[in-house]
Amino acid sequence: MTEYTQKIREIAKKLLSEGKVDVVIGFREGTVPLMAEPCLVSDPAGVDQLVFNSFCGVNLANYLPRRKDRIAVVAKGCDSRNMAQHIAENQINRDQLVIIGAPCTRMMDRRKVAAAVDGKDITSVAEADGRLTVTGPGFEKVLDRESVLQDNCAICVHVNPVLSDEMLADPLPEQEKDRYTDIREVEAMTPGERYAHFEELLSGCIRCYACRNACPLCYCPTCFVDESKPQWVGKSIDPTDTLTFHFLRAFHCAGRCTDCGACERACPVGINVRQFTKKLEKDCKELFDWEAGMSPDVRPPLDTFRPDDPGKFIK
Amino acid sequence: MGIDPGRLHFSWISSAEATKFVDVATKVIEEVKALGPADRFVKEKAQVA
Amino acid sequence: MRFLKITKNDWARGVEGLKDSFRVFGPVLERSHFNFRPLEKGQEPDFSFRNTRLSPKSTVYPQSEILFTYTLDKSRPDHHVHKEPPRDETPRAILGIRPCDAKAFGLVKLNFDTPEYKDPYWLSAYEATTLVGLACDEPCSACFCTSAGSGPFDEAGLDVLLKDEGDHYLVKVLTEKGGKLVSAAGWAGEASGAEKAFVDGAAVAAEKITSFVSADKLAGKVTNQLHNAKFWDDVAFSCINCGTCTFLCPTCWCFDIQDEVAGTDGVRMKNWDSCMFPLFTLHGTGHNPRGQKTDRVRQRFMHKLKYFVDRYDKGIMCVGCGRCVQHCPVNIDIRRVCEIMNEYEPEPETCPA
Repeated sequence: MTEYTQKIREIAKKLLSEGKVDVVIGFREGTVPLMAEPCLVSDPAGVDQLVFNSFCGVNLANYLPRRKDRIAVVAKGCDSRNMAQHIAENQINRDQLVIIGAPCTRMMDRRKVAAAVDGKDITSVAEADGRLTVTGPGFEKVLDRESVLQDNCAICVHVNPVLSDEMLADPLPEQEKDRYTDIREVEAMTPGERYAHFEELLSGCIRCYACRNACPLCYCPTCFVDESKPQWVGKSIDPTDTLTFHFLRAFHCAGRCTDCGACERACPVGINVRQFTKKLEKDCKELFDWEAGMSPDVRPPLDTFRPDDPGKFIK
Repeated sequence: MGIDPGRLHFSWISSAEATKFVDVATKVIEEVKALGPADRFVKEKAQVA
Repeated sequence: MRFLKITKNDWARGVEGLKDSFRVFGPVLERSHFNFRPLEKGQEPDFSFRNTRLSPKSTVYPQSEILFTYTLDKSRPDHHVHKEPPRDETPRAILGIRPCDAKAFGLVKLNFDTPEYKDPYWLSAYEATTLVGLACDEPCSACFCTSAGSGPFDEAGLDVLLKDEGDHYLVKVLTEKGGKLVSAAGWAGEASGAEKAFVDGAAVAAEKITSFVSADKLAGKVTNQLHNAKFWDDVAFSCINCGTCTFLCPTCWCFDIQDEVAGTDGVRMKNWDSCMFPLFTLHGTGHNPRGQKTDRVRQRFMHKLKYFVDRYDKGIMCVGCGRCVQHCPVNIDIRRVCEIMNEYEPEPETCPA
């Protein structure tokens, strides 16, 4: 990944000094192990803070809506799909963007890494040859990279950017994967069991909205839960209100979600929020043979009508 | 979501099909009544500490 | 100051005994992390935690709390009367609170207990609570308590301080409240000379803190200059305006009051709110004085590191627990921001030519 860092800096420097873009959006080194911070660079002298590593899980497409300037942005496979989605939804213009494509070797889950060392304090990590060496006071542990991937990355079938103007490396092989084993388990439940499952899943939710705010799709000027005139959803931690928030948000992402994992990654209390969005992603795949964000030029299935849309549910 | 399938119904009814509307509405009401009061996604008073 | 030595068996028996007269809270493992929860009969606090994911502030300041209920139904004799729900005034004990989090109660108290106003909900819960701290022998790398006015053995907010000695605890009874709890638990067994163990332990633990903030120059800064400084856009860029930092923070105290009415029956409640949310400052007119995310990020840091410092002269509104540092999804680090603010020198004023 250090080659990526080097190339990102070169490309950023070139684009900024030649005046091709106004700003570059990428990542800088985190202040704690297992993290990287999204950052914006507008001065060619500042490009050396840019890095790329296995902890760049934040979806940078989130930082694009409403920008008026010309932007170079680093994009993993999922980020690029959300950028395509943004373009299709008129959130950004294609010609504002220089997409620096990063064929993604899949991001690591900081919480899984922490769990793999029994929650011990991690002071540094080093990555080489598919392994992660984690060190802290009085211990060192080598982890297999595959065992600590973000859940969505482990089942990702589009690691390569779908849109790019610059590429940091040749495309990587894509994997074949059954993406929906967990969803089928939930589908097999009775309605009552399913409701209980969701209640349990959300029992720790603190309504901080990190899932929503980390999501590139959630760019509404005012989210329905923040409406106060009228107020649609209660603001306490009442379980029905919490369920309502999560379900409605997921439905609003139907046919648009790329399973980038930003929601789950952001959740401070470790809720598998992707359980909701993934079901809708599966339905879109099965009903419309649709994967979101694969092209900026095709209308998503839920904002268009086709005579052959499935209609068996209409009685 | 955990809603009983019998509580959700979709029909395509033209504005000219008044009798179909009556039939469907009657049938749906009967089905839902048979299921009894809903206890999911129902909030009487906020359940908080 | 009394010192006791209790075996782990005595501890477990005492905790169980306390439950007869106290509502006992302790760290409990939930899924992947720990939180403070009420302990059931037979349930022991799990002291294998480093710290809890959420701060223990919710033990006296629940995320959602009903203030009163009412009915608008005029056929009922009590219509339009505010009825307080029965409050549980049973003494509470929080076992294993970290010294930094206990110190935070003291900072929050500055807001909820002033000469002019006293928040009856927070204050009655706080007064009913006895804080039994567990000294931090292994502080985390993201902890910066020693430079945030606290420390791994800080006694400031505590009634009792425990030090884990392997097969037993050393107990330092700090207040009268603490003494009552210790008697209720049946813990006796004076430990003479234990004072040294605490002094030495504190020194050893403080040595292990590797992370610091400098806050010494904050009070001397000119508020408006700091407010108008150019660095805020860079600090705020990555922020997604979620409430993780404020909801996990032991010192964030802001709340919102909401009425919820179903039919003719209503409740008024108090919910945690966050300065990160646009709705926090949205006026009835639709105007929002903190309309941009930079405004909101600046507010959070200015409140903690400048306004609070100036208003109370009690240091920064942060105890260095490190939760926001560890769990901010985009890695905004209060230590870095504090450093930037502390070192800030205003750009020289130039007259336009």
